[in-house]
Amino acid sequence: MVHADRKPVLLLVDDQPAIHRLLAVKLRNEELEFLTAFTGEEALELAKEQQPSLILLDLTMPGMSGFEVLKALKENTDTMEIPVIIVSGSTDSRHKVRAFELGAMDYVCKPFDVPELRARIQSAIKLHRLMKMLEQRAQIDGLTGLWNRAYFDKRLEIELNSRRRTNRPLALVICDLDHFKLLNDNYGHPAGDTVLQGFASLLNHELRSSDVACRYGGEEFALILPETTPDEAIRACDRIRLAIDAKSWKNYEGLSATASFGLAHSDDLPVETAEEWIEAADSALYEAKRGGRNQVHAYGHGLAAGGALEIDEPPTEQAA
Amino acid sequence: MSNDPIYSAFAEDEEMAELVEMFVEEMPDRISSLQDAWESSARNDLQNIAHQLKGSSAGYGFAAVGRSAADLEDALKDMERELASVKAEFDALLNLCSRVSA
Ligand SMILES: [Mg+2]
Repeated sequence: MVHADRKPVLLLVDDQPAIHRLLAVKLRNEELEFLTAFTGEEALELAKEQQPSLILLDLTMPGMSGFEVLKALKENTDTMEIPVIIVSGSTDSRHKVRAFELGAMDYVCKPFDVPELRARIQSAIKLHRLMKMLEQRAQIDGLTGLWNRAYFDKRLEIELNSRRRTNRPLALVICDLDHFKLLNDNYGHPAGDTVLQGFASLLNHELRSSDVACRYGGEEFALILPETTPDEAIRACDRIRLAIDAKSWKNYEGLSATASFGLAHSDDLPVETAEEWIEAADSALYEAKRGGRNQVHAYGHGLAAGGALEIDEPPTEQAA
Repeated sequence: MSNDPIYSAFAEDEEMAELVEMFVEEMPDRISSLQDAWESSARNDLQNIAHQLKGSSAGYGFAAVGRSAADLEDALKDMERELASVKAEFDALLNLCSRVSA
């Protein structure tokens, strides 16, 4: 789910406690939260874990130098997007050039002028926020407000990578609105859009904030459910299934919508690639469609929940 | 060289008072590291301490200390110069540091 803005976090990296104390007082009226590091090593760890909005980085420090820290920050995909302002006693233009070449956003000389530093901090944070917003917009589906396919592909890779390291349980669900083409034909496309949006808001309502709901394309949705047992995943799908089935659509009398769900769970899936995961969830979805729609199928287990009475589909036909 | 105390330009600034006091309290430590570095001819250490004082002193309202520290740092960066030849810059900084008061 898309997160709201939190108070920007500033990571201050300097070997001198006197600088930390001074900035803590001089910046205390800014809308900022502070993290402090006295060594480069500490800074890298904090940056990775806490994802600050901005880093103020000293150059001359015992141990890792500011340049080494900057290089490491920019080489790590977890921290490369975090803007860095170098705050250094060096006025040497070669140092400034090197800092910008390594990816610093700005360079401020010590002793710093406090109002100027404040302004540069605010400007860096504003720019970072705009960049984040644009990046996020490019990953959001315009109609439903859910994550889009591009984000799903990226996120699934991330979750599979983290699963390789931690072996934590993971569930992938692909679900599809039943007879969506028929619904569009009978009620018009605005009705179809309303159902897509209504389904999206049900997903947001029924899923946890750690779950990832995406519009996979057309009337198809993909849900990534980290740290979820097979039972929990089935129950979540069935809650959504019942909710969409029970939902009434004002302005569209007689309209009802149902959805089918295909679930792949790490317990049943000794495979590693995203393609194989998607294939498994897709084949379970296919079974749910073939079994009569409005039901949940789990890969390797068959029918898991639901199961309508209707048997309206010859099994040879392409289910949709 | 004078021995008159030097007060922070922010002495009247309420939010700074406690900070300045701490900065002044730490001065004897900085002075002894400066002296240690000088006596053991530890040029790098000397340059680092000067660099730190340059960066922090003005922020605490001791701009003169900062400028003097910058002079010493610059002198030490000039590798043409023997350590003995920066004695004047070193003494000037030590003098200012010892006069810093809250
Ligand atoms: Mg430093």
